[in-house]
Amino acid sequence: MSLRAEVAQSPKPIVERLWKRFDFKPNESQREAILHSEGPLFLPAGPGSGKTRVLLWRVTNLVLTHEVDLKEIYLSTFTEKAALQLREGLRTFLGAASEETGRPFDLARMYIGTVHSLCQRMLIERDFQPNRTRGRAPALLDDLDQYLFVNKSATWARLLQAAGLEPSTAHGILNAYLGGRGQSKHAAASSTIAFFNRLSEECIEPAAIDVSSDPELERVVKMYGEYRAQLAASGTRLTDFSLLQQEALAVLERGAHTGEVFRHVIIDEYQDTNTAQERIFFRLASKHRNICVVGDDDQALYRFRGATVENFVRFPERCRKHLGVAPREIPLDTNYRSRPDVVEFYGRFLNQCDWKRPKGGSYRVESKKIRPHRKERGAAVVSSAAAPPEAVAAEIAALVKKLIRTKRVADPNQIAFLYPSLKSEQVHRMMDALEAKGLRVYAPRAGSFLATPEATAMLGLFALVFGRPARGPYRGEYWNYYNWLDAAEAEGERLSKLDPMLESFIDARRAEVQRSEADYRRLLDLVARKKWDLDAGYVPKAQQRRLAECPGLSDEARRRIGSARFNLAVDRRIAEGNPLKLKYVLKRATSADWSLLDLFYQFTLFEHFAAMFDAAQRSVDPDEGPVCNLSLLSGYISRFMEQRAPTIAGDLLMESRLQNMFFGSYLYALHLRGESEYEDAEDPFPKGRIPFLTIHQSKGLEFPVVVLGNPRKDPKTQRLEQIFDPLLAGSGREPLARMAEFDMMRMFYVALSRAKNLLVIANFRSRGNRINPQFNALLGNVPEISAFDTASVPTAAIESEAAPKVYSYTGDFLAYQRCPRQYLIFRKFDFVPSRSQTMVFGTLVHRTLDDLHQLLIGARHSTAQTQ
Amino acid sequence: MKSPKNMVTPEAIDELFDRNLQDLEAEGTRALSPHIRDLARLQVKMYWRRLEQLARQVTDTEVRLQLPAQKSPAGRTFGIEGIVDIVREADGTTTMYDIKTHDSAYVRENRQQYAEQLNVYAHIWQELRKERLDATAVICTTVPKDVEEAARRNDEAAMVRALEKWDPVIPIDFDAGGVKATVAKFGAVVDRIEGHDFTPPTHADLKARVAGARTRFAVYVCRNCDARYSCRSYQQYAKGSAATQESLLKTYLADLGDDDLRDDIGIAALEIEPPLGTG
Repeated sequence: MSLRAEVAQSPKPIVERLWKRFDFKPNESQREAILHSEGPLFLPAGPGSGKTRVLLWRVTNLVLTHEVDLKEIYLSTFTEKAALQLREGLRTFLGAASEETGRPFDLARMYIGTVHSLCQRMLIERDFQPNRTRGRAPALLDDLDQYLFVNKSATWARLLQAAGLEPSTAHGILNAYLGGRGQSKHAAASSTIAFFNRLSEECIEPAAIDVSSDPELERVVKMYGEYRAQLAASGTRLTDFSLLQQEALAVLERGAHTGEVFRHVIIDEYQDTNTAQERIFFRLASKHRNICVVGDDDQALYRFRGATVENFVRFPERCRKHLGVAPREIPLDTNYRSRPDVVEFYGRFLNQCDWKRPKGGSYRVESKKIRPHRKERGAAVVSSAAAPPEAVAAEIAALVKKLIRTKRVADPNQIAFLYPSLKSEQVHRMMDALEAKGLRVYAPRAGSFLATPEATAMLGLFALVFGRPARGPYRGEYWNYYNWLDAAEAEGERLSKLDPMLESFIDARRAEVQRSEADYRRLLDLVARKKWDLDAGYVPKAQQRRLAECPGLSDEARRRIGSARFNLAVDRRIAEGNPLKLKYVLKRATSADWSLLDLFYQFTLFEHFAAMFDAAQRSVDPDEGPVCNLSLLSGYISRFMEQRAPTIAGDLLMESRLQNMFFGSYLYALHLRGESEYEDAEDPFPKGRIPFLTIHQSKGLEFPVVVLGNPRKDPKTQRLEQIFDPLLAGSGREPLARMAEFDMMRMFYVALSRAKNLLVIANFRSRGNRINPQFNALLGNVPEISAFDTASVPTAAIESEAAPKVYSYTGDFLAYQRCPRQYLIFRKFDFVPSRSQTMVFGTLVHRTLDDLHQLLIGARHSTAQTQ
Repeated sequence: MKSPKNMVTPEAIDELFDRNLQDLEAEGTRALSPHIRDLARLQVKMYWRRLEQLARQVTDTEVRLQLPAQKSPAGRTFGIEGIVDIVREADGTTTMYDIKTHDSAYVRENRQQYAEQLNVYAHIWQELRKERLDATAVICTTVPKDVEEAARRNDEAAMVRALEKWDPVIPIDFDAGGVKATVAKFGAVVDRIEGHDFTPPTHADLKARVAGARTRFAVYVCRNCDARYSCRSYQQYAKGSAATQESLLKTYLADLGDDDLRDDIGIAALEIEPPLGTG
């Protein structure tokens, strides 16, 4: 019988029939959660409990059974990647349903994404504006942009001025107060930013803070006020991630109907939401009261970003307070991921801490009791012998080698090494031990990304083309950075010596850069002599011949000035009454035909880089690591290019401006910040390499084999928490004295619960090396590697995703057929194309035509109704 | 009450267009250069001028069709997805359109490729959705050069002539017989993607002319692909056309297009001011 016929006959919800089709057998609590359709819902979900599936099926059910329009659903996730996965899953399930029922659906209008992207959308869309006109979103600074903005001399000087600080002593004073060290401006700027963001996330207005007894607090609060003034004063209105939420909240609170737009508000990873977000969510759910939160307080990781785990733990009472009704609580606690031994181990680990509240109750959600679904008994947690780090690393490396050799894993990328921080010495020790066994690792974020061999070589070649700033008389990180730059330049020189064509290529590009600068200087001199105004409109009649005949000008610049195509554009602008400014004529005459990103790709022509692409492309035993690093680098270069140097022309080359901006400021900032350890990981990981990740990066992921490479983290209360504790008194947060311990427990819990088949724990014991006491107590009952039979580890199967993959006829099938290699590089490795215009072009045309059709369809309907 | 006739003004189209542009930027897409932006705007406006009647008849826009739960030769489960527009006329006659930002000469020459695609969509529409279907066609929104030229010169008479000559709708015969083969081919591609097979076309393929494009593959596809530099097939192609190392280097140095193209790109990018300033 067709599904459509079944639908007509059976009283069972349609999703239940779809489950069969997708081979999904929900357990009782999953089923209950999926079918829940009215009123608030609280879903504490343990690791590996299939929460993504539950979310997907729940939305599917709302749409199919309860006639909820997709655009009435707000679904927010922690990362863009998670949003993408959910969107693809919904596409699969709803697509399957609509082929059978004939009911189409439109995912494009659904609010699904990170809180930030949804905030941006709410700032634009009519539904949320008081007068229902389209709003304008401010330009958003991400973490790196925010740092560059604050760190900029002009901004920083004004912030210090607002605080009444002298530049000579300011950094030391700020660092002493905010928990940084020494006189470093970088440390001062970074911790000041963290303070700003926290105020924004907690929705604390400067005026509401009592600073009367605390002159140091008063200073940074004044800086915060000035920071906001600076953002507002910039040409394009700017905002940062934290303030964006406040702006969205303000729009929501202003509009009377903003609480009715969504019939359902669904939030994933709710344990990592902050105060501003909580307010947004309750506001959005205020009319229909259908708020569903999913998360795991035991996996809360982001306190340092303002996340308040209490939002989750106390969700039932918050819900009663804001919506006047208690949520239905359904714990999802069957673990489908790990072997029973692993589940029991991390359960015991969590019990090493006392979670009881002094006056009764718990700091955890205690309704969930994680039970393993898998049945394979036997040891699945092993530890190294308690030994000095070198011996431990060697023992673990031998085990890993054996697991790969005996095919317990399909690829080295199925074995993950997890660390509290990748800046630890233990990391490098472990990498060395693995490499000594002939194994390759992938750790672009251990140390500085710039220090990876690929970035070093590529940026070294850039330095040869553009030149680089000389080293100044400073020590510390500055000194280290210039050591890297020296090394990069030397590497560039080495490579160019090896390859005569590369050398000639660099010479040619360098000559172009020099010519362009010289031309610009000559033209500028001429403009000065003639007393022309660079910002005035270009008058070809009076100026063209003079410019072209400027003595010493290169043929190319002369050609540009006389180019028919260029002059056509110039005339058109004059006819439109909006003549091109003279400065742009100088720019056109001296601009390079290539961008920084073009140059990046051109360098991949040469053997050193081309070989990396060969290694990634081969089907047997590929090595994708180097190409993944190059892809990341394409992103960094493109970002610099777009924000600071869209065109390389004489104006940018004068007085070494480009090299100062690129090497002296941008790359230096990347070096100082290090690559954030909390950045999303590139999942899936490059084939042929063993990934090294921070525990934060491993959130939401799973691996057949997990090695906890350093079970040591000393709980230390963060300075920011001390500063904010009095400001947040009465908010019901965890006691200051316990926070660091709780956070440490949760972090290791995340690490331990990533393992599917085998969990390996390093056990350091020597002078100056130890592991956390919580592990000591447990490792006594765990077999050591030497006594462990690797044959007992099940072979890792191919990953099964929450939903089967849907391929686009044009985006995948035709693109692959056009060129499989192009597909690999841009679709799979995500290189940023230099000429990406075609893609955006297509989207823009299609969307506009779609809108046009919608408009016409709508108009026809309303005509039909009135007639 | 306003009739639909006077609702769609050039200003209304501009508004729709600008809104999408703004949305794309808000989504973090890279800014389009003014030149490309103008071209996209022209396509939308010319679509409306040339195909107003058809546009008014569209009953379902951007319909997402999906063929779920297919099996690849290697046993992988996958789905196929595509987007079409549907016109249902008063008498029930139904036509499916696939709007492409492609050039109509190219589509005409490669009709077979488009037929395969539309046949899969037609199959989903008829067999899974049980909807009527009478015809399928591709709409090519790329405007011919003379339309572009007339727009640039703002020459209405030339525009009228150019639009008359332009036939953007290309009917495609549909035939359910080929669907199975196309889906099998699709499944084989899924297996190759999942099986990490990404070998580029050969040197000989690069030298071959692309049907309907009057250029070689190396120009039609590779010249717009930044990955060409590290591609062995392209490297071999470039070597083939250069006698010495020196001329090979020249080839690569000047690989960015002729004077006209370089001027177009350069002019378009002139007034883009970097958002974070140059300080």
